[in-house]
Amino acid sequence: MIDYSEHTLANGLRVVVNRAPSTEMAAVNVLYRVGARNENPLRTGFAHLFEHLMFRGTRAVPDFDAPLHKASAENNAFTNNDYTDYYITLPRENVETALWIEADRMTGLQISPEVLEAEKKVVVEEFNQRYINQPYGDQWLLVRQMAYKVHPYRWPTIGLSPEHIMGASVDEVMAFYRRYYNPANAILSVAADIEPARIFEMAEKWFGAVPGEGITGAGRPVDVLPPEPLQTQARRMEVERDVPATAITIAFPMGGRTSRNYYACDILSDLLAGGSSARLYESLVRRQRLFSGVNAYITGDLDPGLFVVTGHLLPEVSVSAGEEALWEELRRLCGEPAGDYELEKVKNKFEAETAFGELNVMNRAMNLGFYDMVGDLGLINREVEIYRSFSAGELVDEAGATFRHERSSTLIYNGGKR
Amino acid sequence: MKDKAKTDATVGADAAAGAVAGTVAGALPNMVAPEIVVPKMPPLPSVERVVLDNGLPVHLLRNPGQEVVRVSVVWAAGSAVQTAAGLKPFTASATLNLLAEGSMGSGGGAGLSAHEIAERLDFVGSYYDVTVDRDYAVATFCCLEKFLEPTLEVASEILIRPAFPEDEVSLYARKRMERLAVERAKPATKAREMFSAALFGDAHPYGVSSPESEYLGLRREDATAFWSRFYGAENCFAVCSLSDDPAQREAVSELLGRLPARSMSTSGDYAMPAPVSDGYRFLPMEGAVQSAVRIGRVLFPRHHPDFVGMQVVATILGGYFGSRLVKVLREQMGYTYGVMAAMVNLRESGYLAIATEVTADATADAVERIFAEMGRLKTELVTEDELDTVRRSMLGDVMRILDGPFGIVDVVIENIQIGGETSGLPGSSGVSSRASDGASECKCDYLADFVRQVETITPGRVMELAQKYLDREAFTVVIVGKE
Repeated sequence: MIDYSEHTLANGLRVVVNRAPSTEMAAVNVLYRVGARNENPLRTGFAHLFEHLMFRGTRAVPDFDAPLHKASAENNAFTNNDYTDYYITLPRENVETALWIEADRMTGLQISPEVLEAEKKVVVEEFNQRYINQPYGDQWLLVRQMAYKVHPYRWPTIGLSPEHIMGASVDEVMAFYRRYYNPANAILSVAADIEPARIFEMAEKWFGAVPGEGITGAGRPVDVLPPEPLQTQARRMEVERDVPATAITIAFPMGGRTSRNYYACDILSDLLAGGSSARLYESLVRRQRLFSGVNAYITGDLDPGLFVVTGHLLPEVSVSAGEEALWEELRRLCGEPAGDYELEKVKNKFEAETAFGELNVMNRAMNLGFYDMVGDLGLINREVEIYRSFSAGELVDEAGATFRHERSSTLIYNGGKR
Repeated sequence: MKDKAKTDATVGADAAAGAVAGTVAGALPNMVAPEIVVPKMPPLPSVERVVLDNGLPVHLLRNPGQEVVRVSVVWAAGSAVQTAAGLKPFTASATLNLLAEGSMGSGGGAGLSAHEIAERLDFVGSYYDVTVDRDYAVATFCCLEKFLEPTLEVASEILIRPAFPEDEVSLYARKRMERLAVERAKPATKAREMFSAALFGDAHPYGVSSPESEYLGLRREDATAFWSRFYGAENCFAVCSLSDDPAQREAVSELLGRLPARSMSTSGDYAMPAPVSDGYRFLPMEGAVQSAVRIGRVLFPRHHPDFVGMQVVATILGGYFGSRLVKVLREQMGYTYGVMAAMVNLRESGYLAIATEVTADATADAVERIFAEMGRLKTELVTEDELDTVRRSMLGDVMRILDGPFGIVDVVIENIQIGGETSGLPGSSGVSSRASDGASECKCDYLADFVRQVETITPGRVMELAQKYLDREAFTVVIVGKE
């Protein structure tokens, strides 16, 4: 259970606080409701590039990190398709340093062309390191492009190509900043052993003066995204790559973050791959010896996401045998209710993972921000119960609705040539 | 997807002098930065040490108010021991990884299968994980308090009666061989392996890496022999984070007290040969867009009087986001997404390592700039301000590790490995009081000493260490990609 208190400042900033006893550390999290989904299709990767620039200083604080290092803080950020998250952990006595510096960069960012050029190169090196100079690095990019034709989830956070990143201009950077980085589009969440009322006072002190309706008076920006049309035909792509083993990936569209199908898919993916007693490993790796490794997971996006099953084939196994074996496990989910013991196992795991996750102030602050963005803060304490509410029969129905051949996107990533 | 997006503006001057296109009129009025407090280090955890009847030292941390329990068992049975003892490659990691892949019944019959063990742990949501490095093998159990009993029942199968079934050994070998092939397709993995070999020597226990096909030579007997030889209580210790409930302590002690007492040999029986380093190794990668660069030199293990000082030197150079190498290679030149420098501790040695992946065409320049930054540490005193930043950043890291029961266990494990307190491990500086099972209070001496040294190091001392240890001729350079 995470206790929380919430408050909204006059300028629209949401503030959510967890009182975390018995820790000397504080976590300060600022979530902006902007991600790769909000990008211009010709400037993919921009939200992430922008995240990098948020560390390049403001008029008042040219060196963003210096005061944080002095305050014994650690800080970082990540961007995904739906949102951008900035987080700081530091000794509780210095919590105001974190609030001050976050308020400052919510309003005073200053980016010169020189800094932008250097940072673009850094992001291109990140692209190279993670997606190009890496075996299987483009696998996920290919799956996304196959599974989404219209919705901006069709491109990854890093962007479609280094050229998109290199094309960004200072004007575009500042326009993006004005549109999305304003208090009405942000959520401040704090977990610390500090009275919530005191945090609200500090939030008012540091963020209260940030111009209210966004810098241009726009308030919270709303981008209307094209919904992905229902897929009616199976999609398939085969590529040849210089990698040791052939990989098979099959993806299916699934429900959005608050839909019942989302929770069903989360449970189904755990039946398949949650721990080493799960079905895919037991059947395809241990018993049949078709794959060296297998996995199943959901993307967890706000809008309808993807359910993914994937595996690395052993060299003597044909692609069709591997594919058929993955489908066999999917069909089993659609036809045969999971036993009580197995279902209980998966539900217990959600409970334990939730408890392990709550140990840490950083996770607490981050989760509060996330659930507030989803629009249902109370969900943070209700999810274990939601997982518990599924019967084996309902899961069979949800599986049947999800794992349909005509909705599948299959990527065969052929390797093993070297 | 966690993207590191970090920087700070060394180029702040350029930014101010350059175009002002990127300024927004809207900076906060009159906001004076809050005063920064130098945090008090929280009291270092007090650890109770008991020696069980089988000779196993157990270090107990009390963790009231948390609903989770952690038990870790650490054996001095890493891959270096296997190499030094002339055993087959991958024996040490296979033995550890196969502990949970089937057990023997208490009467000698069949126990639990690998699937049953995994299922019972999964059923109560317990976490079981193993890690192995050159020196140590570690098995860790974490569970909700209320599921301690069923977790310990399975832990008993894993720790006391592993069966190493032939079938599971062959499955493991196949799987790992494939996985290692994938790992080795990554330039960073190639660079790491070449770096170890270049620092210590191709056949040295700390330098060797073996072809993945060697996995196929592993047999059940290799694991059982390694287990009987190195997995006794004499060659290990345990660290537990429990609540105040005496029943928990009793249950955990009961289990650990059944670990086999004697080891046929211990890691202390094998002498480590002297390292023989190479100056330069290069592996070309056709069409690579980046080069993986590793630079370093063998120095000394953690108990050496200069180790902590060199950790500070490494941090100034590349140990945090504000470090000199981050400023030069990332922010100024845009050559890389990341660069780091650190002191790496091994039981019988230690080395300074600098690691980065840089855009292929800038490889040579990046290497020059890394050595230039090392050179600057030898000739220019670090300012009090920069050193103060580094100190506080390092102390903040310690505070973060100590925040939460699981991190404290890690600190205690490290402390014992370094020999900062009495342990049962051969070769460590303490002497085990095997004769008694009485409890004694231990402190995290190593950590206390680390904090004291970091707090008091001076610019002069940093320069002295740089002059002593940062001579370019003594360094090894490894490049995978383009020269």
